Amino acid sequence: MSSIDLTLQIWRQKNNDSLGHLETYPLSGINTDMSFLEMLDVLNEQLTRAGKEPVAFDHDCREGICGMCGAVVNGIAHGPERETTLCQLHMRNFRSGDTLVIEPFRSRAFPIRKDLMVDRSAFDRIIQSGGYVSVNTGGTPDANTIPIPSQVAELAMDAAACIGCGACVASCPNGAAMLFTGAKISQLCLLPQGQPERRQRALAMVETMDREGFGNCTNARECEAVCPKGISIRNIARLNQEFLAASLLEG
Amino acid sequence: MKLDARIPSGDLAQKWDNYRFASKLVNPANRRKFTIIVVGTGLAGASASATLAEQGYNVKTFCIQDSPRRAHSIAAQGGINAAKNYQNDGDSVLRLFYDTIKGGDFRAREANVYRLAQVSGNIIDQCVAQGVPFAREYGGTLANRSFGGAQVSRTFYARGQTGQQLLLGAYGALSRQIHSGRVTMYNRREMMDLVVIDGRARGITARNLMNGELESHAADAVVLATGGYGNVYFLSTNAMASNVTAAWRACKHGAGFANPCFVQIHPTCIPVHGDYQSKLTLMSESLRNDGRVWVPIQKGDQRPAAAIPEAERDYYLEKKYPSFGNLVPRDVASRNAKEQCDGGKGVGSTGLAVYLDFAEAIKRDGEATILKKYGNLFQMYEKITAANPLHEPMMIYPAVHYTMGGLWVDYNLMTTIPGLFALGECNFSDHGANRLGASALMQGLADGYFIIATSIAGYIGASSLQPVAATDPAFDESRKNVADRIHRLLRNSMRGPAGKVTVDEVHKQLGRLLWDNCGMARNKAGLEAALEQLPAIRDQFWNDVYIPGNATDINQSLERAGRVADFLEFAEIMIRDALAREESCGCHLREESQTAENEAQRDDANYSHVSVWEYQGEGEPPVMHREPLVFDNVTPSQRSYK
Amino acid sequence: MWFVRFVSSSIGKKLIMGSTGLLLLLFLCSHAAGNATIYMGSEVFQSYADELHSHPLIVLVFSTIVLLLFVIHIAFGLYLFFENRLVTPSRYAVDKKQAKNAFAANTMPYTGLLILLFVLVHVFGFTFSPEEIPISVTVKSALSGIFYGMFYLFSFAVLAVHLSHGFWSMLQTFGVNHPRYNILIARLTYIIPAFFLLLFGGIPLYFMSGAGASF
Repeated sequence: MSSIDLTLQIWRQKNNDSLGHLETYPLSGINTDMSFLEMLDVLNEQLTRAGKEPVAFDHDCREGICGMCGAVVNGIAHGPERETTLCQLHMRNFRSGDTLVIEPFRSRAFPIRKDLMVDRSAFDRIIQSGGYVSVNTGGTPDANTIPIPSQVAELAMDAAACIGCGACVASCPNGAAMLFTGAKISQLCLLPQGQPERRQRALAMVETMDREGFGNCTNARECEAVCPKGISIRNIARLNQEFLAASLLEG
Repeated sequence: MKLDARIPSGDLAQKWDNYRFASKLVNPANRRKFTIIVVGTGLAGASASATLAEQGYNVKTFCIQDSPRRAHSIAAQGGINAAKNYQNDGDSVLRLFYDTIKGGDFRAREANVYRLAQVSGNIIDQCVAQGVPFAREYGGTLANRSFGGAQVSRTFYARGQTGQQLLLGAYGALSRQIHSGRVTMYNRREMMDLVVIDGRARGITARNLMNGELESHAADAVVLATGGYGNVYFLSTNAMASNVTAAWRACKHGAGFANPCFVQIHPTCIPVHGDYQSKLTLMSESLRNDGRVWVPIQKGDQRPAAAIPEAERDYYLEKKYPSFGNLVPRDVASRNAKEQCDGGKGVGSTGLAVYLDFAEAIKRDGEATILKKYGNLFQMYEKITAANPLHEPMMIYPAVHYTMGGLWVDYNLMTTIPGLFALGECNFSDHGANRLGASALMQGLADGYFIIATSIAGYIGASSLQPVAATDPAFDESRKNVADRIHRLLRNSMRGPAGKVTVDEVHKQLGRLLWDNCGMARNKAGLEAALEQLPAIRDQFWNDVYIPGNATDINQSLERAGRVADFLEFAEIMIRDALAREESCGCHLREESQTAENEAQRDDANYSHVSVWEYQGEGEPPVMHREPLVFDNVTPSQRSYK
Repeated sequence: MWFVRFVSSSIGKKLIMGSTGLLLLLFLCSHAAGNATIYMGSEVFQSYADELHSHPLIVLVFSTIVLLLFVIHIAFGLYLFFENRLVTPSRYAVDKKQAKNAFAANTMPYTGLLILLFVLVHVFGFTFSPEEIPISVTVKSALSGIFYGMFYLFSFAVLAVHLSHGFWSMLQTFGVNHPRYNILIARLTYIIPAFFLLLFGGIPLYFMSGAGASF
């Protein structure tokens, strides 16, 4: 355990209508066992005691699974450690004297609400347009009726691990949401339960994704590199396949 | 306060059928005339919203996060129990029922727990149909693991992310209903008040966290699925936004709060590092299958673990409980860790940790085997602490994890306010004084998918509800009260921060007070002292807290302040409940009530009841009511792990 | 209309890019085969060219198709380029790319436009060269020039960069991504551009270096 001194440059923006700017805050005596968000807590306590407005940022579970937190730290979504959400990034990854530039996840589809807080409800709307199996409660067959090969279940789980944090969109040079959409489509197209709606799902979710203002995928692979859950772009390949098949055969 | 549990007649196995048969129904064509409010989108809230909407009701669903997919159910790792008996190892509805009620140390209601076990199988069917990628055997059937003291394998899991996958399944079902227009989703809203008209719950006042606007929403019934109150301790494994506000406001309107002192403290969490710590991280207790718990024999031993020779290590669990050893139940393991640390034998920089050592298991089974079993947990531990458990022992310490107490509900999950229902961790009904591993997910989904719809139909069918609009004066009054309270919170901040304290500072004080006096082991003197100190903290909060910003903008400090204000009020009934229950049961250990061997001593003659607290107004002590627990089908036995 | 919906969707546009890209790659292969005759001497090359032009209908049909492919590939590429620029005008104060081979991916529109420039020069220099001079003579005289030759070499390098992302990207867009074949695909993303670079780049080098003096 040791302590480090940092210079923070944090994006401050009152709301979506106002202009933002980077503001500089020196912060000293940061314990390296702290998580990144705890470091922000310390800053916020100091700002509060000085009568200034704390930095607004989204966070909840702080154990890397809810997908609520996220910011771009020195140009990398969720910071420099791979497969790690911001809340699980620890300050031992930084050295005393470092300058950290902290910016919100930016995308046309993610309007900034305040400081580092963005609105990711576009993701919800993509799911609403088809990211589920249309089955009502009750009347479902016994869970073991359809055997699913273990490997298939594992592949579906790889895709289903997505936490919807939006780092893929934030890091994509075009602001595309293909990894997010592809992960859900993959999960459901791999499983037998997802088959009946397979085609409509692909068409509907891609249509919503495009309408929400996400960009076009150019296979830049940035999303995969920053994804805190290590979701592979193989899921994007599956999405492409699904969409092509659906376009040719459906509707 | 009248406590009628409305337990249906008949044999235990017939009660749920009898209840459904006797229950009133609402004609499918009429359902669209009724509006149901659901607060919270965890497993219980999301599944309830989806199910009610599928049946045709108008549903308004509220969540505090930016998306319903983020509720804290998502963090559950281990799994979900169901009495499927897929492993052919002797499981049955009756066995799951018995394990749950025994695990709860005979402080839960038989009929509710039995129904939980009955519908557990349907939950798995439902989730599989939704496309939840549960772990599978090579032959394609569902895989199971054993969990938390059960002697059968009945836990279904999806890697270490079962809660996430189940929640995303329910979120999908909810999303489908949002798309169809049956559910109106309100994100980033916090329920600030319940609106009661003519003695019935008829709506809520919610605050839009984006602009501070207070909104009135009218309905025919209100369903709370707002989770537990573990964050009253400041540090817990709960998410940062988890709070008691919705349940507590309901309580202030006359809903009874049951067993608030029943709090589960999980033994294998990553220890606290320092004052800045914001939350605790849990690691699956399966670690204790291969890890050996020890502390140095010598007090205040500062040597690193490797430098302490075998002879100077105290494997206190193995010594004290020769037959169960490191696998004693959660509460026993937690209490013993605290005892060692209180005695000065704690390890690590804060002295608040014990070792969990895998050296012997690694020597016995090899690194590869241990990594295969615990690789992801070791990775998680290393990510947080930068120490590799393969090379040095883990350090663990107990942390607040789950609250068995909650709003009192009858068999229908209705609180003492007609029309107000509570589901999941928010109610008290199924886990008694201690919850078994992998049962929280089961209860949340049972309540939401399979129970609430019948209850709602029964309630609406049996009541003649007059239409209520959000323009009713009761809503204006509620909004005014909420606005006044927010104004009072901000009042002290006009003149700047000089000489003031922050919200977190007060919250930490409260947490410390409860952890020390109403935590793993409680005694009369400590609880009375805590009760005495509580008003001073409350006064300090209302007089000295500085909250920057205003109420008409995004203001996370103000949000936290409102929640802490409620925790400060709620803490009182928690302490009073712990004080009133002069027995040890489940997670509640009263030091006065122990056997000669320092084991928890239950007192069925005097405390076989649910304690239900009724709020009496500000400054008035709350009144306790009792719902006696009747055990017709099981015989309460004393737990022993020696 | 499903086709309009398809091509106006983000993935549809990508698929158009990918499929025209693939067809252009096939054209490149046939072109490369033809050009390889240069290495066999001027007679072989000239007879290949004469043979080709003795079937004007085939040449016309093929040229039209290739032209069409070029137009579609370029039009969709430009459309995507401008649409993507709308989405993200340099949004971060600090921006650190994390993916490997980000250079090729991020410069696709620019390398594409450079290739277009090359194609124009190439077509006006050779395809529309005066018919009375044999093509083998034109090739030799043009590519022996240091400026012209260097421009060709540079263009082939650009083409290699474009292909190094384009080939993999096309397969990904078609949904070809499987751990078993990914190693092969990864190798092909180097082998294919290198092949064209060697084959095409060798021609100007052949003439510039003087090795083709007796051509």
